[in-house]
Amino acid sequence: MSRIEIRNLVKMYGAHQALHGIDISIQPGEFCVLVGPSGCGKSTTLRMVAGLETISGGEIAIGDRVVNGLRPKERGIAMVFQNYALYPSKTVYNNMAFSLQLSRMPKPEIERRVSEVADILELTPLLERKPGALSGGQRQRVAMGRAIVRDPEVFLFDEPLSNLDAKLRGQMRAEIKRLHQRLQNTIIYVTHDQVEAMTLADRIVIMRDGRIEQQGTPDAIFHDPDTVFVAGFMGSPPMNLVECMVTPTGLRLGDSEIACQTPPGLRSGARVICGIRPDDIRPAEDLPGGATATLPVDLIEQLGTEKLVHFRAGDHAMIGKTGGRANLAEGRPHPLSFDMAHAYFFDPETEKRIR
Amino acid sequence: MTSTIRQMTTRGTPYLFLLPGLVILGALLSVPLYKVVEYSLYDNVIVERNPTFVGLDNYTTLLTDPGYWSAGFNTIVFTVGSVLGHMIVGIGLALLVNADIAPRARTFFRSMLVLPWIFTAVVVALNWQLLLNPFGLINYMLQWLGLTSEPLDWLGDPDLAMWSLLLISTWRGYPFIMVSFLSGLQTVPRELYEAAEIDGAGFWHKFWHVTLPQLKPVIFGVALLDLIWTFQLFPLVWLSTGGGPGRATEVLSTLTFRLAFVDFQFAQAATVAVSILIISAAFTLLYLRNESRRL
Repeated sequence: MSRIEIRNLVKMYGAHQALHGIDISIQPGEFCVLVGPSGCGKSTTLRMVAGLETISGGEIAIGDRVVNGLRPKERGIAMVFQNYALYPSKTVYNNMAFSLQLSRMPKPEIERRVSEVADILELTPLLERKPGALSGGQRQRVAMGRAIVRDPEVFLFDEPLSNLDAKLRGQMRAEIKRLHQRLQNTIIYVTHDQVEAMTLADRIVIMRDGRIEQQGTPDAIFHDPDTVFVAGFMGSPPMNLVECMVTPTGLRLGDSEIACQTPPGLRSGARVICGIRPDDIRPAEDLPGGATATLPVDLIEQLGTEKLVHFRAGDHAMIGKTGGRANLAEGRPHPLSFDMAHAYFFDPETEKRIR
Repeated sequence: MTSTIRQMTTRGTPYLFLLPGLVILGALLSVPLYKVVEYSLYDNVIVERNPTFVGLDNYTTLLTDPGYWSAGFNTIVFTVGSVLGHMIVGIGLALLVNADIAPRARTFFRSMLVLPWIFTAVVVALNWQLLLNPFGLINYMLQWLGLTSEPLDWLGDPDLAMWSLLLISTWRGYPFIMVSFLSGLQTVPRELYEAAEIDGAGFWHKFWHVTLPQLKPVIFGVALLDLIWTFQLFPLVWLSTGGGPGRATEVLSTLTFRLAFVDFQFAQAATVAVSILIISAAFTLLYLRNESRRL
């Protein structure tokens, strides 16, 4: 267990700046997830912590040591790669034992450690197989086993589940979470999947274009987004983000008037981006007491336990929700209720939250 | 009736297209092959109008001839030495030109290092004769560095000639191996090296545990191919040393040539050629089996 301090981290590729001063402070035993769209710099940050990319500026400290100049093996880290990166010519046992063999650990000790970890990950019957004879999920577990046997200070995961099918991904996600509860190691985990980020993280760091957009607990990120980007990134289906006009009594959304409390700084006539999650827009009969507007419903998507209600407000396509058994007709207007207590307001210029 | 004819023409058409290829193959490959085997069973072929059939007499003569055995031994030394040289230099240089350096420099080195391959054997042999000459550049350098006190006759000294020949053959043959390994190296996933680095592997460990296992199929295939080529290599040996001094670098291919066109013992030459054919065919079968297993 070690703390990780990333201070003003900068990465240059020639003249192109990929990271613009990243600051993250990860507590011992914390599960930190870096999330963002591809090209946002999350993998680069992780690889710089691992020592696989050079550091152009700033500082990375693991425990009490600044590791900028240290080689990967001297940093006390273990990494799980997206494509697993198992040695194809080695058996599962030797894949897991390789780093210990290189560190000249006595053989009985290596055997003890590998069999212990193989037990945890249910790999014991597979130890003599080669990676080619394993399924995707098994390979993934070997890759994790290889990291665990080293008993590192820090685990680094680089999109470890993105090559698995949806069902297996769900299983492995739970397995990683359980593993973290058991081992209590500090973890940095990179993903572009917001569900993984929400379910696994103690701390989420949302990145965009080489900058940190927001960091905090999953709760804070989801329920208290600082920017339009964060609000739109987390949640599926995503938050409705529509530009509308402030009126004396609320908002003008397309042709409809939505009665609500707007933040005190906003004058009537000002433009504002209003964000509201699909969960907070329901048919009026489901949600009495919300601000109601009758709007044309053009599509219903059945998800099973719930239905997504696609409707239009002026030019904006928006999504609401209703129960899976609700009967709602497509193609005609329906009174919809907006729970404006859970609406967010953003400045259209800066895209920052107006509180 | 007409339909049968039409059927025959439609069925026959593909074979018609095959015919030119089959004729050329037959004329250029099968006939000479058959002739060589036939010659090895007669005496005084070509030189006399009516050669006599002697059965396997030529083979008995050959197998009791110490010259044949010494040429065979030299062939093994030359082949194994060359293939090893090609492999070691080829892998080493492939690793170097695969390194992550400036793209321009990389292209430059890759092109330069392939050059030995594109010269004809005559040019290679003549150049090396000049370089290795007692009054040549290499002797001059060695003396200038103080490594030898007097010039060495690299190609003329029976103790040195085979080594010099191996040097020339290595220089001439490594580019093919280098290019093959280079393409093999480029298929090794980068994550494997990164994973090894995190596991604490240094250069040699990475080479031994990642690079070599990944290249194994390429190494085996290329080594066999090289073995087949080098085993019957003639021009480079003939032009560099001519099999000499004495018989110090006489290999089976130069022996064949000497028997045929110096001694006019065409039947004996054909017999040596058949022995080369049998051994090469064995290697080729091994190579084909290896290739089909890879697929």
